[in-house]
Amino acid sequence: MLKSTHKTATPPPILPSLPPGWTEHKAPTGHSYYYNAETKISTYTRPTLGTPTPFPAAQIHITTNLSNPYSGPSYPHTFTNSTQGQTQADFRGRGSFKGGNGYQGRRSHHPEDRPKHRYAIPNCAPWTLVKTKLGRRFVHNTETKESFWKFPEDVMKGVVEFDRMERERREQRERGESSENQNDRETVAVEGKDARRCSITPAEQADEADLDSEYEEVEVTEEEGEDDEQGNLPKRHRTEEPDSNLPVEFNEDDIAYQLAAMGEEYGLDPGEYGEGDWEEGAEGLPLSEEDSIALFHELLDDHHISPFTPWETLLSSGSIVDDIRYTVLPTTKARKAAWDIWSRSRIETLKAQKASQAQQDPRIPYIAFLHAHASPRLFWKEFQRKHRKESELRNSRLSDKELEKIYRDHITRLKLPQSAAKSDLSTLLKSIPLKDLNRASSSSNLPSAVLTDLRYITLPAAIRDSLIDAYISTLPPPPAAHDNGQDDEDASERRKDRDRREKALAERERRVQEEKRRQRRDLEFGKGRLREEELELERAMKIGKGGLKAHLNDKEERGDTE
Amino acid sequence: MPAVRTARGSRKPPPEGFEDIEDTLLEFANKMKDAQNESHEGKKRHEMLWPIMQITHQRSRYIYDLYYEREAISKQLYDWLLKNNYADANLIAKWKKQGYEKLCCVRCIQTKETNFNATCICRVPRNQVGDGKDIQCVSCGCRGCASGD
Repeated sequence: MLKSTHKTATPPPILPSLPPGWTEHKAPTGHSYYYNAETKISTYTRPTLGTPTPFPAAQIHITTNLSNPYSGPSYPHTFTNSTQGQTQADFRGRGSFKGGNGYQGRRSHHPEDRPKHRYAIPNCAPWTLVKTKLGRRFVHNTETKESFWKFPEDVMKGVVEFDRMERERREQRERGESSENQNDRETVAVEGKDARRCSITPAEQADEADLDSEYEEVEVTEEEGEDDEQGNLPKRHRTEEPDSNLPVEFNEDDIAYQLAAMGEEYGLDPGEYGEGDWEEGAEGLPLSEEDSIALFHELLDDHHISPFTPWETLLSSGSIVDDIRYTVLPTTKARKAAWDIWSRSRIETLKAQKASQAQQDPRIPYIAFLHAHASPRLFWKEFQRKHRKESELRNSRLSDKELEKIYRDHITRLKLPQSAAKSDLSTLLKSIPLKDLNRASSSSNLPSAVLTDLRYITLPAAIRDSLIDAYISTLPPPPAAHDNGQDDEDASERRKDRDRREKALAERERRVQEEKRRQRRDLEFGKGRLREEELELERAMKIGKGGLKAHLNDKEERGDTE
Repeated sequence: MPAVRTARGSRKPPPEGFEDIEDTLLEFANKMKDAQNESHEGKKRHEMLWPIMQITHQRSRYIYDLYYEREAISKQLYDWLLKNNYADANLIAKWKKQGYEKLCCVRCIQTKETNFNATCICRVPRNQVGDGKDIQCVSCGCRGCASGD
């Protein structure tokens, strides 16, 4: 690591002047690179008058690859230190790091790569396509146990077919998602392409010579253009066709990083340039304000919160704070406003409900109580004294006079002969309109018009219920209600709205997670680098008693073995 | 503070809607009991009444909010609550006036009780107190209740 830094970072002691048209710049990684405004070419190698462009080097590199395309993939030994391996993978995967040593780190260590998925290639029976952890691909013959990075002619057709199928499958999957999403991704893809075309990409050129030994395989793996694979691109190492005339090899994230650095320089908002996961959050949520308020209201509904609780109690109890819908509204003030609206409307509906209930309510429990306990042997006063502690008699909404009147009427009715009581009951049932009483109703959910009538309780329960059941079975089914259709429509609309909002919320949550993961990775990477630097420092400080000469000798030897 | 309701029938039953807010009021009552039974040790002399005043304020605010802001309770219930000392009627009367919307307690605006015939320090707007000064008033521990804050 140290060695390569030394090589590239410090320029040669005597710098020849640049040829006309070339300018020197500092890359975000700390390297200086050179850019030709006329030819729009950038390079890390300092151009002299003799070598105007770095093309020749790249081409040579490629031809060496092509000369030996059928070398089987060989995997380097994996690291015993797993954390180091992890950071290594991160380097290659995203490339979203800050600092000067990133590219060196990527180059100097062997990449940890291993086969991950294996797919059967259609119409090429013994051959299988293997995808590695880093997204490279090679073909493997299960019979002859041969593996090639470069696909042989006959296998190539199968691979192309396979890719086509895979692409179709992915498209289908994407079509399943919401159209909003798709648009999002498309625009992102376009932006990404633009960025790749116009941004300065000197990173890999200077490395070509070093890369030869380790990245040979990479150059020949991919034949397919993968521009449509924006979704899983970050996981994949971008490669190129050998005959492409662009000499640079640069993945999305390097570009994104450079863009971000440039944007910072110009003081831009992160949302204003480039693509990536984190800009979306900065650019604006898919949730509108009404949506977020509605989400918050749903949260309150779902937690069955009483609208009468004070706001402070609600917060301190913390039941709603853990829900992700709580975070939809940005400030506590906004939440309180939403809560006010919700509680007011909720109290309204509760009041309305209670008002509608209050009209039917008070007499029903009392009459049911009479049916169970009243007897002709007791006068009203006796009955009242006997049951004075029952809640039915203590009901404040019925006056004592009313209670007495109902009791006396009931007692006189109890003295009637059973046949008269039966005919009374049938007349009562016939007087109920079909809307309230029909075949769908049963003896347990009768309309209140029946329940509040004294004729209903004159007969003993067993006889009465059998009579009512017999009568109900002769009734036609309930008439089709027009209001119900309207209600259903409303409900379905509301449900649709709710689904939409929830989807948007999930999307937002996903993005937040992504962002978090990215930050964590950055942090970990930074820590790893710090640790490495510390180690290096330690190593540098450790000059033995042999003095500087011994140390230098040591170093030389090490250099030789490498 | 409401009187403890014991013997049934000795006083009028609460009007309709009381059952909705009963739980919250009970919570306030429990808090108040805890505050009353708390030890005074380690507290300054004037600090002892602070929690009592604060709970009273909260409960009054709750009832004020329900009646005037959210319109959740009936006039009868509101009157009944005031009559039974669930809320401080004088404090609520002040809240209805402009400039006193957040008043912490009635004592803080009693100018006659102070040496210089002035209101309490908590009535001074935050930007006039001076930067970084953390004030807490003597009578109820209020940290500032000026309307503009």
